[in-house]
Amino acid sequence: MHIRHRLELIIERMAARRACNILEGAGLTGYTVLPAISGFGGVTRWSRDADMSASSDMVIIISIGADAQVRAALSELENLLGSHIGVLSFGEVQVLRPGRF
Amino acid sequence: MDIAIATLLSPIVLFFLLGLAAALLKSQMTIPEAFAKGLAIYLMMSIGLKGGVEISKGDLGWDAGLVMISAVALSFILPVIAYSFLRFTTRLNEVDSAAVAAHYGSISIVTFVAAQQAIKAAGLETSGYLVAVAALMEVPAIISALVIVHRGAGRSENVAGSDRGELAREVLLNASVVVLLGSLIIGWVTGEAGMKKVSPFFVDPFQGVLCLFLLDMGLSAGRGLRNGWRQLGPGTIVFGIYMPLVSGLIAAAVAALNGMEPGDAALLITLSASASYIAVPAAMRLALPKAKPSIYLTLSLGITFPFNLILGLPLYIWLAKAISPGAV
Repeated sequence: MHIRHRLELIIERMAARRACNILEGAGLTGYTVLPAISGFGGVTRWSRDADMSASSDMVIIISIGADAQVRAALSELENLLGSHIGVLSFGEVQVLRPGRF
Repeated sequence: MDIAIATLLSPIVLFFLLGLAAALLKSQMTIPEAFAKGLAIYLMMSIGLKGGVEISKGDLGWDAGLVMISAVALSFILPVIAYSFLRFTTRLNEVDSAAVAAHYGSISIVTFVAAQQAIKAAGLETSGYLVAVAALMEVPAIISALVIVHRGAGRSENVAGSDRGELAREVLLNASVVVLLGSLIIGWVTGEAGMKKVSPFFVDPFQGVLCLFLLDMGLSAGRGLRNGWRQLGPGTIVFGIYMPLVSGLIAAAVAALNGMEPGDAALLITLSASASYIAVPAAMRLALPKAKPSIYLTLSLGITFPFNLILGLPLYIWLAKAISPGAV
């Protein structure tokens, strides 16, 4: 087993492209974007089917990479989350094939 | 009064109310998201095609050009008025006020479609070029809102990861603008002969599809209202009701100056009185991400849309009849 870093970002759909640009710019060229169904944050309850524009839909972006790449993305992602709705978490994970991350 | 009762008891309004009531009562009923998006595209294609066919009959002249210019000017000016009201009468900050203002300068295409039905039921005719007017009024309000915010902040916000041109793509190439203008041009080019070939799909089932869509709109409005009403103060809620009336009165004056026929005037008044909840929210998430969507979406979809659909439309038709030279 090999140690890598996993970054999980829950962010509004409209900012997903911006987040992906940051990941790619930091060298995290492998990531997956998943749709989020519903949630509650602050004082607001949200769900995918409540908004015709789908502009308040949320997505989850998961990326696994080397420590240096993840840290390179963090400051830019922090800037992004200063403007957009989202939650970011990261931590160590074990991977089977280290050459892929 | 007859128009008001006919509008209230029309299937589209009743299906909207059914969806609204179901959502407010916490019903689990849903219309699949992809299906609802397909319905929206169908409706825009249908009205675009019908508008284009009307234009192909020779509906487009200098008068129509003047109306289009006036409509674009309205869409630029209405957000400035809305912003001033919001800053003086509510506690919303500059960014939230500008975002809300953009919604009230832009248009709701579903309100436009519902108005077409109500106007037809009132025995009035409408011109095809008003579909182009609707598409033209989508964008200028967004620009006005950005100018308001950037004048106040002194500079634009630089968000990490932004692409050059992403906002322009979102604003100018959103589904409403592309489908409406594209279908309008296709209808214009193919004319009545082309429409005959597709009318079993785009004309005959239109009313039924509109009912299905309004049921979904009712669900969306009800859920938005249920989840977001705590974000709205009394002043903001009242704004969602008086702003359409203010915009409608200004548009009525513009329609009178342009000498528009009652049906066309009613559509221009409705467009001005409506608030966007599809194109502008998406643009605002990119351009003004710090604005709270729970405020502008709840206000435009949960307050103004039901108001316009249930009470506004008969009022706008009456107003159009009163100011138009063709009034009986």
